[in-house]
Amino acid sequence: MIAQTVIPDFGGGEGSCVRENKGFCWNWVKDNWGDTLWPAVRQHVELTAIAVVIGFAIAFGLALLAHRRRRLEAPITVTTGVLYTIPSLALFQILVGFSFLGLNRLTVEIALVSYTLLILFRNTLEGLRGVPAEVREAAEGMGLTRRQVLAKVELPLALPAIVAGLRIATVTVISLATVAAFIDDEGLGSPIFRAIQSNVFKTELLAAGGLAVALALLADAVLVIAQRLVTPWARRQRA
Amino acid sequence: MPTEHTAHEEGPSALHRTAAATVEFVHVAKQYPGQDEPAIRDLSFTVPAGEVCVLVGPSGCGKTTAMRLVNRMIELTSGDILLDGSSIKGRDTAQLRREIGYAIQQVGLFPHVNVGDNIATVPRLLGWDKGRIRSRVDELLELVGLEPEMRRRYPAQLSGGQRQRVGVARALAADPPLMLMDEPFGAIDPITRARLQDEFLRLQNEIRKTVLFVTHDIDEAIKMGDRIAVLRHGGELAQFATPADLLMRPADEFVEQFVGADRALKRLALTRVRDVDLRVLMPEHERDGHPRIDEGVPLRDALAELLQAGRQEGIVVDAAGKERGVISIDLISRSLEPPA
Repeated sequence: MIAQTVIPDFGGGEGSCVRENKGFCWNWVKDNWGDTLWPAVRQHVELTAIAVVIGFAIAFGLALLAHRRRRLEAPITVTTGVLYTIPSLALFQILVGFSFLGLNRLTVEIALVSYTLLILFRNTLEGLRGVPAEVREAAEGMGLTRRQVLAKVELPLALPAIVAGLRIATVTVISLATVAAFIDDEGLGSPIFRAIQSNVFKTELLAAGGLAVALALLADAVLVIAQRLVTPWARRQRA
Repeated sequence: MPTEHTAHEEGPSALHRTAAATVEFVHVAKQYPGQDEPAIRDLSFTVPAGEVCVLVGPSGCGKTTAMRLVNRMIELTSGDILLDGSSIKGRDTAQLRREIGYAIQQVGLFPHVNVGDNIATVPRLLGWDKGRIRSRVDELLELVGLEPEMRRRYPAQLSGGQRQRVGVARALAADPPLMLMDEPFGAIDPITRARLQDEFLRLQNEIRKTVLFVTHDIDEAIKMGDRIAVLRHGGELAQFATPADLLMRPADEFVEQFVGADRALKRLALTRVRDVDLRVLMPEHERDGHPRIDEGVPLRDALAELLQAGRQEGIVVDAAGKERGVISIDLISRSLEPPA
């Protein structure tokens, strides 16, 4: 990892806060925002967005399959479950071992995607299955085709469960993506690793860690608001 | 189900003119795979167009199965079902179902769309244009006695009775010649239930659909049916008769038992006071102390009023309060005798 940032010992005119690694130095954050922290946040958002979008696409397809053919559920659950339980550091290490992968973003994304699959698959499938039997029966009885039942009834009703899965997956990926800097030097993990390597530079550690937490909270809030917008019926209570 | 203030007064709408379908069960059998006994062994009967036929029987008798065979929610094992003479076999199931109204006990309204969109389900599938759908939804809301503003409510915001009305409106939306109703008023408190039954009968009087109505409640069957098919285990037709016939001449012990020991009282519930040949009024000075009985009530209620008042005779009055004649316990009792 190449340190772009001045480490406490080398701190020229930055004052005693940074040099003595006392606690949290706002000045350092201000000085390094544009060059270090903000780019790391943007990379982190990219890493997360790519992983969640691809993970959702795969998990959604698998859930539709398992919804139609019940016997596919067990094998898919086991496979995604195994992926989910592999310790992240081990998985990164295993992936790097493949010759066609390297210390790059592709390797990171493969790992991150694999962690989203179980959550997104299970939630989507539960959402589709959670449609009340009488609603499905009425839909079929009125002459909706299977595809119409899926598109007009099951998917809209599964939305809250799907969004719940997206929230967990997104927060998980934001957290895991910091570890990914171990493979590919980008995202908020990058300043965190650097801080650890520089005698645990507290300001940088706290700033980058705090930004990761803030990012997770923000992403969660955005998803909650999005869900409220697309499911107005879920909030209305009996008059 | 119009309520008083929304009763249909304008000229005949499309509703009044649509055809109703004849439904024929021809040696219908249904055997579920992996079960020893067939759910339905051999069922044949014909429902004339425009009539309400109630399928009634103990649980497990195959009545719901029989109904669901008609719109192919369940597929026939053998035999055939004819709608206006043509077989349901080989029909595209989605197309077939769009032509048959379907209302079930749990209603099954779509929770994620409002009342108007729920009612518009089948018209949309049939590709009606927006204006036509809009006016049809308005018409149906009025028909089932709901305010036009209700169209924007979500199902979760409705009472149980309102949901049932929306369910019936949705089933009627594309003006189907046949309605299948599976215990549509089953999950509702008795008072609302009686009101919905009355409203449906009034509505049916207006629209004259063919209706296959499933219930396990013999009282509901007697009240709602033009004809009643009593089924016993294995979908065997124990009796197919009008309510009066069923009560007067049960075919066998099973039907007699199913109809109940109080079948005489049930028959009294079928006849209204105004349908009886009343005795002439007694002189005016003798009329005091006799209960005054509305001519629109069933004989059963009239009997109850007489017993309550401890009198043999009551004065029958019409809606305007005009005295029409005299009803007596003796007259009520004689109305139960089989016609000569």
